[in-house]
Amino acid sequence: MSFPGQRYLGPRPNTLIIAVCVLVALPVVLTRPVWTDSAVVLGVYALLGLSVGISYGQAGILTMSQGAFAAIGGYAAAILTTRFGWPPYADLLVAMALPAALAYGVARLVTRLSPLATALATLALGSVIEILIRNADALTGGYIGLAGIPSVGAINTPAGYACLAWGMIVVTVFLYENLMCSAYGRALNVLRVDQARARADGIDVPALMSAGFAVSAAVAGAAGWLYAHYISFLSPESLDTHISISALLMAVIGGAGYILGPIVGTLLFDGLTRLMPAAELQGFFYGAALIIILLAARTGILGLLAGLARRLRRPDATPAPRAANLSPQESLP
Amino acid sequence: MIKSITRRVVLAAAVAGLAAPALAQGADRGPVKLGAVLSLSGPAAVFGIPERDAIQAVLKQMHSTTPDGRRIDLVLVDDKSNPTEAARAVSQVINNDQVVAIIGPSTGSGILAAGPIAQRLKVPLLGPAGTLAITDPKNEFYPWVFRVAPSDIVDIRVILRDMAKSKTKKVGIFYQEDAYGKTGVDEAKIFGPTIGLNVVDTVSAPYTATDLTAQATKLRNAGVEAVFLQVSISALGSSFLKAARQVGLDVPIYANAGLAQRSFAENTGPEAEGLRVLSIGNIPFDPVGGEVELAKMLQAEGKVPQGWGELVGTNALMAAVAAIDAQKGKEITGESMRDTLETLCNFKAYARGKACFAKDKHDGWGEDALVITELRNKQLKTLD
Amino acid sequence: MLAIAEYVVRGALSGAIYALLAVPMSLMFVTVRTIDFAVGAYALIAAAVCWSVGGALGLAAGLGAAMACAAFMAIIFLALKRLGCEDHIIYALASFGLATALASLVLWWWGTQAFVRDAFSDPWSVGGIRLAPQGVINFALILLLVGALHLLIQHTSLGRMMRAAAANQTGAALASIPVQGIQVGTYLAGGLLGGLAGLLVLYSAGLDFTAPLGLTLSGFGAAIIFGIGSPLRGFFGGLAMGIAQALAAGYASAMVAGMVPFLFVLLVLTTSRFGEEALAGGRP
Repeated sequence: MSFPGQRYLGPRPNTLIIAVCVLVALPVVLTRPVWTDSAVVLGVYALLGLSVGISYGQAGILTMSQGAFAAIGGYAAAILTTRFGWPPYADLLVAMALPAALAYGVARLVTRLSPLATALATLALGSVIEILIRNADALTGGYIGLAGIPSVGAINTPAGYACLAWGMIVVTVFLYENLMCSAYGRALNVLRVDQARARADGIDVPALMSAGFAVSAAVAGAAGWLYAHYISFLSPESLDTHISISALLMAVIGGAGYILGPIVGTLLFDGLTRLMPAAELQGFFYGAALIIILLAARTGILGLLAGLARRLRRPDATPAPRAANLSPQESLP
Repeated sequence: MIKSITRRVVLAAAVAGLAAPALAQGADRGPVKLGAVLSLSGPAAVFGIPERDAIQAVLKQMHSTTPDGRRIDLVLVDDKSNPTEAARAVSQVINNDQVVAIIGPSTGSGILAAGPIAQRLKVPLLGPAGTLAITDPKNEFYPWVFRVAPSDIVDIRVILRDMAKSKTKKVGIFYQEDAYGKTGVDEAKIFGPTIGLNVVDTVSAPYTATDLTAQATKLRNAGVEAVFLQVSISALGSSFLKAARQVGLDVPIYANAGLAQRSFAENTGPEAEGLRVLSIGNIPFDPVGGEVELAKMLQAEGKVPQGWGELVGTNALMAAVAAIDAQKGKEITGESMRDTLETLCNFKAYARGKACFAKDKHDGWGEDALVITELRNKQLKTLD
Repeated sequence: MLAIAEYVVRGALSGAIYALLAVPMSLMFVTVRTIDFAVGAYALIAAAVCWSVGGALGLAAGLGAAMACAAFMAIIFLALKRLGCEDHIIYALASFGLATALASLVLWWWGTQAFVRDAFSDPWSVGGIRLAPQGVINFALILLLVGALHLLIQHTSLGRMMRAAAANQTGAALASIPVQGIQVGTYLAGGLLGGLAGLLVLYSAGLDFTAPLGLTLSGFGAAIIFGIGSPLRGFFGGLAMGIAQALAAGYASAMVAGMVPFLFVLLVLTTSRFGEEALAGGRP
């Protein structure tokens, strides 16, 4: 069996899967306006989830500041286009570069911490960014926020944004998968499992982790850019700590260590919470669903599926060997 | 023959309905769909839940039928006090349920996020929020957003004028760290001096603060003669009052409408006696006119009136009802609702005061919807 | 000068609540190496139940409700362990789910109201500073409790077992120390202490359904400032955070005051030397 582009996509199964899924699903989604709208928002969340996947699943940095990085990206886009009249797409570069630079600087300080301490440090960082945004009235519109952010060039329909969002996801997955197949990706995997070993291999651990975190922040910034242009309004509540936490949850639920895990988690969890009765008890169902999923699939949905697949293939196999770029995040002592 | 024509008409209507959802409620007398996108969870649930309860109670009382006999279907969605969710919910009720007008979203930021969607899909929003920016004529989506509560600026001016009557000169402000708190403070700093009130110090706290004695101490040290509270989280309000008593900040305290909540009034101790609170009407403690009617409907549903969320929620509902009946016999769409809303004046609503919309006036309610109350014995008593 | 002293005293009194929340955090971090995000929710449940029941019975009912919720968290923890999950992050995320669910239940049952009660009406005057009796009582109670806990951990055989389980789980298990029992006990202690914090807040400032996450994070912040290893350090961490907040509220702008706790945490985490070992042993 062969298909065009196999030479490039053959060794990139995740990219192939997501590209095919998007190509098949998008035409269906675009037939219903409400699905189209949801597809854009879910695209933003899925990008944020992917950014958590890169940072936590690969570089081992448990991050709770992705919402803040997205906010920086979003505000950069909003300010550059509304105040300074930047052309579309030019602001995307800034929206990705700014959070990446910040993440790189911060990561150099926090990489030696344990995951939970890192989580706290990034949470504090996110809160500081949120407070700065709220108080920079002249630049960010303060608590009220910025309205009237223009659309991205010719793209001004929800369908256009849905294509843009999922196109960005396919590209991100492609780059992500390439990264993981490179020497850097292999090094990241080594250091996540065993830092001493990584050092012994001559890996500059802090630099590599920081680079991983910076890439993750850049993806989050791109998500913020998309959000700002699509919703056209941005306030401090738009991309706040709650978004950071839910991005983390969705990544873990889907399987943070798997490239497509965060996307699966986002689609599944959002779908699930939408089916449940809302209002006052919304949080109850949300929490209960989270606990049940964690009990049922503690390495994420994809981890559960991979485990089942392994068992089907070799019924007697004990816990499977960990494939380099597919291994889920296991415990760090 | 006749049968087949009918069938063809039905088929054509069905096709038209699919093609142009907003036209689905054709000239026939089918039900009109209204959306309600309200904050039923998250911090804004304080107002979103009473809004929902009152809207449901009134609809039940009306048997979901307007005075003119048009049936209303309500589609209710939670915006979770979050602008993104608000935008999604608005898109959902318009696209999926083909509503012709939407009550909500509950919060200012929710309305600002949903405005462009309402504009694109041509369905008006009836916003129960005070945030000034939602009806700013500079918004591209200005034609599609109507405010059904007095704006924050109107609120601030009324309560500060009351404060100025007491010959106070030096005012301190305590505000909560969000859009509501910050707009209030900014406006008070601009408007205060024009009526002889100088804001000498401001202090603030996030929603989750557990201790406000430091803030109260700072105001006491600044020598303020009166304190103004721009707070809607009742835990912050009662906590500040306790702190003020504790540190010896014994000056008159005035609160904006955010604290006009039953649970706040009933949960405060003796330190709150004499607190002046602005309110939109006063259903929980001193209802008059339409408020009595609304309170009865709520009680019939087993709900206890909480504050003014009920009033602004039903304001939105009654504006929509008036707009529907004003289009007697016509085809009702989002656009026709919008056009009709701009001509509404003096329609029936439960809040006091005269409500009017116009092309260049999307703030329906003004100062006459407001009352000043005083907290006495755990009750907010309306002053003359 | 008196003004500064006053802010310091007020900050210390309010910081005592953070200190109390920090204790279960550090216990949890040392014995299970995770965070129980639901500690703030236990506080809310305790306050809500106590508020409804009222009186001395209310205090007991509040603590009981908090303990019951903590027991539920312990069951989730055991179930996860039984299923072979050794990932502390998963425990933490599960507790986050529980916290969300509990806050939502409170919103559903009690509505959006604030829970607040009064025990005393007249403030005491100490050296020219007017203090609420409740605040002073909170402080004394928490000091006593932390002191007792410190003695328990340092000087009893239970404490020795806890420290052993914390230092080396496998080793402790080999020495027939009931590691799992100690971990479950730690979750229950989280319920007890979190619930107690909730009751103290109920009788001082008051709280509502939005409080849990903020309480948890304050507690965790306080726990790490001087190293997470012992409750005594957590106590001083709480005081330091309260004082820093009060001084910032008194002398700095709202923006700076809001950022102080977070900057504090960032500064400690990124600069302190003791961070590496005390903070859960650094990386593997």
